[in-house]
Amino acid sequence: MKNFSNRYIFLYVSGLVLLIAVTLTLVSLGLKPRREANVEREKMRQILKAAGYESNKDEVPNLSALEFQELAPEHYSIRCADGSLGEVVRVQGKGLWGPIWGYVALSSDRTTIKGVAFSHKSETPGLGAKITDDTFAKQFAGKKLYDADGLFVSVRVTPKGKEGQLSKENRVDAISGATITSRGVDKMLYDGLKEK
Amino acid sequence: MSLKKYLGPLSSDNPILVQTLGVCSALAVTAQLKPALVMALSVTVVCAFSNLIISLIRNTIPPRIRIIVQLLIVSFWVILVDQVLQAYVYEISKLLSVFVGLIITNCIIMGRLEAFALSHKPWPSFMDGLMNGLGYGLVLIVVAFFRELLGSGTLWNIPVVPHAWYEAGYLNNGLMILPPMALILVGTIIWIKNSKTRRAK
Repeated sequence: MKNFSNRYIFLYVSGLVLLIAVTLTLVSLGLKPRREANVEREKMRQILKAAGYESNKDEVPNLSALEFQELAPEHYSIRCADGSLGEVVRVQGKGLWGPIWGYVALSSDRTTIKGVAFSHKSETPGLGAKITDDTFAKQFAGKKLYDADGLFVSVRVTPKGKEGQLSKENRVDAISGATITSRGVDKMLYDGLKEK
Repeated sequence: MSLKKYLGPLSSDNPILVQTLGVCSALAVTAQLKPALVMALSVTVVCAFSNLIISLIRNTIPPRIRIIVQLLIVSFWVILVDQVLQAYVYEISKLLSVFVGLIITNCIIMGRLEAFALSHKPWPSFMDGLMNGLGYGLVLIVVAFFRELLGSGTLWNIPVVPHAWYEAGYLNNGLMILPPMALILVGTIIWIKNSKTRRAK
């Protein structure tokens, strides 16, 4: 086995680290426009999905035809798929492994949910990751944020058999096997829609 | 040089089934076919090219810091793969999320660098990494096939269990989606494999 001096080892590692760092930085900078475009496109797709439009990966929707407007940061006004004007707000919270977030389309009087589109960073595929599935999201359409007495209850995500006093209009079914993620969605909606 | 001598990792010397390396990620990403396949490809790329680079510079690496050098090279490829996935197949990179980054800790890759690339020429090292990645991927896909089919009733996100079955009372096996079931499946595959081939002493 060859004998390497400390000086050689030090220079070797420094050189290698420098080389790798520079290469990765260049790659990262080179791909940055693509990554950011992906994120932006993903966001628009979610807003449109919440507003009830079928998502199409390749099609760029005509936003001005939809009267799309930014009212405040992460708060938009858009003509929804059912023809009426609605508002889309962003909500964010915590799942089991990392952040979850989504866009909720509300009726213009802000009492009824028209649709939702959720996303997550690192929920378990097949379990928590199912919050992005249509079967889960479709449940939210038409749900009310207020109970019969006009009090804010949000739309609760409850497991089957644990509905309590909640009326059908104020709850949806949780995902079985994904208790923590479901609770996260529940809390995210409650916190995010409270002041809207 | 024949191709045959590199084929060991696909069967008789499979990294998961025989060397029992990389089992943890095999449990994590196999709930569905699509992430499993992308994970398999990513690991194959990282494993093959890390082996190649380490083999190319193997005579200049001071033995005292070889693990650090290996880690540097492996993380370089993992970050590269992650960036490319995010830029070109954003949907799938979202599906895999943290598990791409965790390829760094996949024991198969470090194992091959230590056991093979440090002492072999570049081309055999590249093939060794490639085949070990594919051997790993093969098991991943088999496990994911059964987990997605029995756990979600779909394959590649396309429903394959007829609707009539659900109406007749058929339920997806929720246990299949949970990691313990992946362990049992991997165990079953190892069992089947061992009962067919006895390793030569």
